[in-house]
Amino acid sequence: MSKLPLAGVRVADFCWIGAGSNTTKILADLGADVIRIESSTRLDSLRMAAPYKDRKPGVNRSGYFADRNTSKRSVTINMKHRRALELIKKLIMQSDIVANNFTPDVMEKFGLGYSAVRAMKPDIIYLAMSMHGAQGPERGYLGYGAIMTSLTGLQHLTGLPGREPAGTGTNYPDHIPNPCHAAFALLAALRYRRRTGRGQYIDLAQLEPTVALLGPTILDFTVNGRNRERNGNRHDWAAPHGVYPCAGADRWIAIAAMTDAHWAALIEVLGSPAWAVVDRWMSVVARHRDSAELDRLLGLETARWSGEALMAALQARDVPAGVVQNAEDVIRRDPQLAHRGHWIMMNHAEMGEAIYNAPPFRFSRTPVQLRSPAPLLGEHTREICVELLGISDADVDELMAQEVLK
Amino acid sequence: MINPFSAATDPATQPMALAGLRVLDLSGPMGNYCGKLFADMGADVILIEPPAGTRLRFEPPFLDDIAGPERSLAFAYHNTSKRGISLNLDCASGQELLRKLAATSDIMIETEKPGAMQRRGLGYEVLSKIKPGLVLASITAFGQSGPYAQYESEDLIGLALGGLLYLGGYPDAPPTRVYGNQAYLCASMYGAVAAMLALLDAESSGRGQHVDVSMQECVVLGLENAVQFYDLEGTVRKRYAGEQRFAGTGVFECKDGYIYLMAGGIGANKFWGCSVDWLRDEHMAGVERLRGNEWTQVDYLKSEEAKRIFAELFTPWAKTRTKAYLYHEGQRRHIPIAPINVPADLLENRQLNYRNHFVEVTHALRDRPMLMPGAPYKLSETPWRIQRPAPRLGEHNAEVYGEVGVSRAELERLFAAGAV
Repeated sequence: MSKLPLAGVRVADFCWIGAGSNTTKILADLGADVIRIESSTRLDSLRMAAPYKDRKPGVNRSGYFADRNTSKRSVTINMKHRRALELIKKLIMQSDIVANNFTPDVMEKFGLGYSAVRAMKPDIIYLAMSMHGAQGPERGYLGYGAIMTSLTGLQHLTGLPGREPAGTGTNYPDHIPNPCHAAFALLAALRYRRRTGRGQYIDLAQLEPTVALLGPTILDFTVNGRNRERNGNRHDWAAPHGVYPCAGADRWIAIAAMTDAHWAALIEVLGSPAWAVVDRWMSVVARHRDSAELDRLLGLETARWSGEALMAALQARDVPAGVVQNAEDVIRRDPQLAHRGHWIMMNHAEMGEAIYNAPPFRFSRTPVQLRSPAPLLGEHTREICVELLGISDADVDELMAQEVLK
Repeated sequence: MINPFSAATDPATQPMALAGLRVLDLSGPMGNYCGKLFADMGADVILIEPPAGTRLRFEPPFLDDIAGPERSLAFAYHNTSKRGISLNLDCASGQELLRKLAATSDIMIETEKPGAMQRRGLGYEVLSKIKPGLVLASITAFGQSGPYAQYESEDLIGLALGGLLYLGGYPDAPPTRVYGNQAYLCASMYGAVAAMLALLDAESSGRGQHVDVSMQECVVLGLENAVQFYDLEGTVRKRYAGEQRFAGTGVFECKDGYIYLMAGGIGANKFWGCSVDWLRDEHMAGVERLRGNEWTQVDYLKSEEAKRIFAELFTPWAKTRTKAYLYHEGQRRHIPIAPINVPADLLENRQLNYRNHFVEVTHALRDRPMLMPGAPYKLSETPWRIQRPAPRLGEHNAEVYGEVGVSRAELERLFAAGAV
């Protein structure tokens, strides 16, 4: 078996909660030795976030936390203790990357700002991913993904006209935009270091990747003066394009008829209802103009179908269509995700069998698979101290007694 | 701390992290942002378009709202820093040209349906014989094999089958998608990460590989904790727009628009206490009703009663205060709160402007530069930068084909034959 792409790369991981932990998950699943530096004196708040195994709260029982922290190790160090820094320094000396997603100044207070860390290890790659970046008037402001969605305009742009802005229903920037941009920047920096021996400092302001994803919308404003408004599922020019009811409770199908051929096939599959077989809707311009009426009539037809049956019938005619799947559907029913082996069950020491996301890509030569479930809090404290930091078992006992390793 | 972004250094002369890397970008809307990520970090990314132009050229918004292959702002944004050539992959001489280009490249990004590249003699097996170190990143809607591999898709379909669409929108209306082709962009972002991982591996082992990215699977990574709620509790998470997610978490009207407040944060934290202190300091009517021990319990915060009480008290109070006031005063008190901005607000955002986030890029059909989002990350040694505006159709044909030994006369012959 080929070794994983990041085998041999070590990350001293101060990240917590969402975007940071999702970033280092990508590295860990692909072979990096990611060491979470945690403390029972200042818990990663996601360890105390539902859902829990058996609905019983506990620092090692959150599924929310577990899925973001696969393949990592955990060491507990009380950063407020005066002896913490000497341990951290030993760890950093053996690391390639130091990562955090605190607000600025937290790492400085620990004595672990970029200049201090660079003095310990000159070729270190240092990732800081606060919400607003290291400098500037709002540098100390904080937030989760939904706060960034609001600041960037994505919340405003998502939802139905005339109703309050809907957003994604999730902390979207935490899950994909920020982890992917951060991982990409880290990997690019790693490549540069392999070629030149030079590390560097990466300042990722979590607001900015989501702004970057809105490029055409920003240009529509700066070039054309247009302030875009939310418009539901309506497409800029194609119709019908939307979400339509199917048989069953809260069952829906998404249909995107991009061409005249899609439209012709769609109405044939629906049995050529009289309202649809009309000259006035032969052109996409007319369909788009009348899309509200079209959507209403189409919904009356789709409601007779099961979503899965209609999707299969439409896809057989090459019409883009997909069931609006809920969590149960993607886990239990979707044959494509099952074919790809997306869901991985692993046996966690306290949670037992639990579900984890695989990375969303496969390599032809290197198997992509999770290496271990999320670590228990401090699960690897002794192992890391003894094997990596060269501390004797007796000294580990003493550091535990003094509550440095806590 | 010292500022690692020294003002004395001119970023335009600093090295770029991906210098020396050559990427062929054959992709459409599902992959153009992937190519941009490489290009703006210094790789030589060559956008390869069919002779009539790639699909993004025909997508709005357009410069001055006039459609045309050189006027799409979506194209202009997603293809910065790339060179551009035209190439007909459906003829033998075009396919031969691509194999020549592949021999000089490190990464190829493509978004064709599974099997399409093989049928043209351009599958991974063929390309890897020409260039063993090549990474072929295939970004598709559902992946290279499986029951849905040949399904048709658009952004909306990726959101639907990936489960994110179900979580968006209002309980009394159909699920509503996230704005702005996010499924395509998720595929592009993970595609870039996956291609970089395979590239690092190839640069040390000398062996490339085929990278298979599924848009649907990328979207699934965005389901937050919905999958774990089903797995651990057997509950199916639903959409909740227009309602609070927990008491104190959600969209609230204020004097001049909307704000998003997360008074309880996520998981264990101190934010609820900070929020109640704020409302007490400003003498919000009825604030004492938020003081009981039940308000520290997540189960209570999820209850209709808690949401109703919070809204009854908070909304009249917030309606007398502006977005800006609530944002800055709330943040001063370390509470996660933000205004719900419109696109115009971003251009006036003092933090983004302090960081010089927006950058000017020229456009051949415009007399002054366009302002667009800039660096999504700041790297101290190898700064992100736009190397050139998006290419005009076929702009670099002579230059790029010349580099792989195609003479001008030969290029003219290929042009006449429809290969270029």
